Amino acid sequence: MSPDILDEAIEIWFGPQHVSAHGWAAKLTLIGDYIVECDPHAGYFHRSAEKVLEFRNFRQGPLVMERLCMLESFLMEYPYVSAVEQIAGLEVPERARIMRTILMEASRIHSLQFWWGQFAAELGLFTMLLWPWVDREYFLDAFEELTGSRHAVSFNTPGGVKYDFTDKFLKKLDRALLRIEERLPKFKDMLLHGPTFRLRTKNVGLFSAEQGLRWGLSGPNIKACGVPMDLRKDKPDSNLAYDLADWEVPTVHNEEHPGQSDAYDRMVQRFLEVETSINIIRQLLPQIPEGPIIDPKARAKANRLPEGEAYGRVEGTRGITSLWLKTTEKAQTAYRAKIRGPCFASYYALKHLVPGSRFADFIVIFGSLDPYPGLWDR
Amino acid sequence: MGFFSTLGEIFTILKHVFSQVFERPFTVLYPYEDREHPERTRGRHIHIREKCTACAQCVRACPVVAIRIDKSDRKYEKDAALYFDYTRCIFCGLCVQACRFNALFHTKVVDLSEPERERLHYDPERIETLDRDPLEWRGSRFR
Repeated sequence: MSPDILDEAIEIWFGPQHVSAHGWAAKLTLIGDYIVECDPHAGYFHRSAEKVLEFRNFRQGPLVMERLCMLESFLMEYPYVSAVEQIAGLEVPERARIMRTILMEASRIHSLQFWWGQFAAELGLFTMLLWPWVDREYFLDAFEELTGSRHAVSFNTPGGVKYDFTDKFLKKLDRALLRIEERLPKFKDMLLHGPTFRLRTKNVGLFSAEQGLRWGLSGPNIKACGVPMDLRKDKPDSNLAYDLADWEVPTVHNEEHPGQSDAYDRMVQRFLEVETSINIIRQLLPQIPEGPIIDPKARAKANRLPEGEAYGRVEGTRGITSLWLKTTEKAQTAYRAKIRGPCFASYYALKHLVPGSRFADFIVIFGSLDPYPGLWDR
Repeated sequence: MGFFSTLGEIFTILKHVFSQVFERPFTVLYPYEDREHPERTRGRHIHIREKCTACAQCVRACPVVAIRIDKSDRKYEKDAALYFDYTRCIFCGLCVQACRFNALFHTKVVDLSEPERERLHYDPERIETLDRDPLEWRGSRFR
């Protein structure tokens, strides 16, 4: 690059006031319309969740966790709850095990519906913002019927779950599933077969599986490259009931660039994720047995934990979410908790992905990786 | 572009306009009617002092220190002067689950906004009375 060209380079800040930049900012160096350097900045959303967890007891901890990402609150609570259960040696009843899994998958669907509405809006397809968000309300209604709250559900607790299923809830969940089953082919047709969406996303933000694994990506971003990496299959959790359903890890194969994925593939991948989740819920719903929903000794055991450390993890909507918990003897609170959010990796992948692309494609690449600010700034 | 095709397009537009006008709206006219709140809605609390033993389990369970019991206050029977701070409360429901004597409940009142910040500090008398009924589903008043 000759120095004359570099003289023309301009630096601009994308965010934190930009409409699409909800709590993040990236410094972009532009030559003409092309980005030559991207410097993402984290830290605008920092709420010291790890420190806060050191001052909350083990029943209050999940409340902090679910506030990290409100879209997948059932999933976010689980790593903490799982770590506490491992240290305390709590047995989760079969009924609670299946109930947890069903709600985690429902939470995944509603989170993806939120994401694809937002992603389509970033591309300028405003109808696709409103339609999935109407369907999302059906899931939120079901969650409200079950727990009394739409987002801050506070459902999982060490040793089981807090609220039992009611007939009214099951009816509402079924209504939400029917609605998404009916509308999903329509959305697929509108987005994937429409020319606007294809033109904006095909061959944009292309990276290979090796690159993705080196950057630490996980979840749908890496599955879109054709790597069937999924914690639900790879490391089955004994407190979740994924083994009771018959399902396959969905992956996408890009025919033009084998082993790579672009923004379009990542969208297709997320449609497949929704279909898988619906499949799992439909198989698990008839299998719920009668019985208790919480270990009777859970309350006493979770009051004071023995010395130990544990690692709880879950395959979240955006990738592997995990928490490492260390306790001291007769601990009432955590000695140290370390959260691993999937989005820090996907946010900093922009540094390698964006240079060379046009300025208008920047938000497409960002949106297709589905980062959530609350998950990179804990 | 013939006369009849233009007329046809106008009729198509009019058809959609009329179907929108006579369709039921998706939203509710909030101050006059409210949506149906489920049975487990976590709204503002109500304290039943006849059952309360001032054991302070709710105070211990609260993750955000929104509840305070003033045991030296002799004005209230059983010393259970419960102060509730709704500027802090996150409506997690742990206090209601911690209460073994069924003395603390959530109500369906979810709209708590007040003109002044101090009005959200509920004193013992206010937390045990509902100053108004929760908004009921009044059906389709404007439909």
